[in-house]
Formats: sequence, C-alpha cells, structure tokens
Amino acid sequence: MSVDNAYAVELKGVTFKRGSRSIFNNVDIRIPRGKVTGIMGPSGCGKTTLLRLIGAQLRPASGEVWVAGQNLPTLSRSDLFDARKQMGVLFQSGALFTDLDVFENVAFPLRVHTQLSDEMIRDIVLMKLQAVGLRGAFELMPDELSGGMKRRVALARAIALDPQILMYDEPFVGQDPIAMGVLVRLIRLLNDALGITSIVVSHDLAETASIADYLYVVGDGQVLGQGTPQELMNSDNPRIRQFMKGDPDGPVPFHFPAPDYRADLLGKR
Amino acid sequence: MSSASVKWGEAGVLSLSGVLDYRTGPTLRKEGKTLIAAEKAPTLVLDCSAVEKSSSVGLSLLLAFMRDASATGKTVEVRAMPQDMREIAEVYGLGELLAGR
Repeated sequence: MSVDNAYAVELKGVTFKRGSRSIFNNVDIRIPRGKVTGIMGPSGCGKTTLLRLIGAQLRPASGEVWVAGQNLPTLSRSDLFDARKQMGVLFQSGALFTDLDVFENVAFPLRVHTQLSDEMIRDIVLMKLQAVGLRGAFELMPDELSGGMKRRVALARAIALDPQILMYDEPFVGQDPIAMGVLVRLIRLLNDALGITSIVVSHDLAETASIADYLYVVGDGQVLGQGTPQELMNSDNPRIRQFMKGDPDGPVPFHFPAPDYRADLLGKR
Repeated sequence: MSSASVKWGEAGVLSLSGVLDYRTGPTLRKEGKTLIAAEKAPTLVLDCSAVEKSSSVGLSLLLAFMRDASATGKTVEVRAMPQDMREIAEVYGLGELLAGR
C-alpha cells in the first residue's frame, strides 16, 4: 500500500495528544507533490506539531503519516534516518550552530550524512550559498549576520542534501519587508526549479497566501478548511473568514474563557 | 538503490550515466579522476546524455572533472545536459559556467 503519487505527504486519520488534550483529532491532510502548500492557523493550534509529525520527531497516537510511499510511524530507526534525509526543515529560529561559520553550518549535513570529499562539499556549499545570495559571507559567524541573512543561511543548509520535501516553520516571523520579499521569492524559486515539495507553516496571512498554491487552515485539532488562497478568501465558513480577514472577534473569541469579570474584580455578591 | 557510471565513450568523450547523487557521487569522483589523468587527448568532452537524474552532486562532479582537465592542460566541453539538470544549474548560478563549454 502506498500513497497516491500526486501527493508527497499524506496524513490519514491522525490523532495526536499531549496528556489528555487532543492537538489533532482524526485529521486528514494531503500535500500535493511539487507545489507550495501553506498550513495556516492561529498561534498554538499545532502547526509546528504537524511538521514534527511529518518529520517523525513525534508519533501520532493513531493514524498514518505517509511520506514518499512509506508510513513513517512503522519504520525502524535506521529507515527513519534514511527517510529524513529527503526532508529539509527551515526552523523558526534558524537554529544555526553559533560556534561554526556560515560555510561550516551549510557543510554540516553533508559531512554527517554523506561520504563526499572536501572538494565536492566545497562546491556544493558554495552553490547553496550562491542560490541564497550569501556566497560572499561564507567566512562570517552567525552573530555577524542580520536576522534575514541568518534565515537564508539556514535555508542554504536546509537544501544542502537536495531534499524532496522542504518544510518551513514560520519563515516570515521577525523579518523586515525586504528580507520577507527575498524569502518569498526564494521559496518559490527553489520549489519550482528544483522540483521540491514545499510546506509552509505560518500565521502570516498575506505572505503565505501570496506564495501558496494550496492552503489548509487548522484549528481546534481539525482541518477547518482547505483550498486555493482565493477559495478560502471567499469561504462561507465564519471561522475561516475570521482568520483570513484577521477579525479580532468571531467564532474564535477574543477572550479566553474566564469567569465573570465583575465577580472577578468585586468579589461574589 | 541508485546506480551510475563514468566511462569513456568515443575518444576524448567521458560519458556520465545514471543517477548522480550522494550515494553514487564519491565513487564517480574517484573513477573520473583516474580516467581523466590517464587520457592523452587535448580535449575532454563531458557527455551527460545518459544522466537519468542529477542532484547538486552531479554539478559538483562536472566542476571537479573540469578542474582535473584544466590541471592537465585539457580544454573541456559539457555536452547534452538534460533539461532538469540545466534548470538546477541555473538556480545555483552555474548556467553560464557549464553551458557552451
């Protein structure tokens, strides 16, 4: 049994819990191959958890997580190690090694996962840095880089092993408008020219909607909606409309559930 | 399991074939270096027409063979890069370096 070839990743009936709290409840998500898919939803709705399920850092309580024809929760540790080589992740924080320079940060996965000679590793590191516009910065240390540059180095490292699937965890957070524009362009370019399947987890609506071919909106442990950005913008579902239009109040209430305000301030009468 | 090879075709034409990736790259690099060092022809053609799939490793192999050739005074030409390999080369800014040589 394997997934439909049109999908690079397929979650089937996935339930994930932290303690007794359900983060995902019987969720089905299909990520089309070779496209940019955005996973959107309010902060804390489990978007990063979803990436960890796809990367098999977390196991679902039940359900299947198919990546490239393999159901990850059933794999052995060594098979999982191999499966992960085809996935790249751009972490929210960038997560560069602070005591390694830019070159060695990008070279790291090549040194750990391949038998390539130093000569070929140098070629590949310079190619990846050229693609993100930072070949000239190869000798700099991470603390000498701006936030936007750090994220681009992290992106060069994420594509070092030529992954089939590239996952971006909140790539736009904390970026200035120019850095944001550069990232949007790079995500699209790498997706299209390298034939990568991209998954962008974000709550930055404008950027994600501008780049994604397909969107999922998640919340309350479920998929609230899916479709092209245009389809979701025009959705009749009030929850999706609230999220897409950024309304402070709606089906997702502005106030976290709380006891009566008057009673809280003045005491019960 | 990916498989690939590097061998002489007609005189002076080194033919790369199969899947050029992290598994096949290290061996291809060693074999190609030995073949180029032993070849007397003044011109080296790197023929990619039989490449099935290439990652950035394939591009690095071409660059490495070009360096080998240049170290022994040979001129180099890259021939018949498949379209997807050419597109990857463009992303990494190697289009001009590898095309038309």
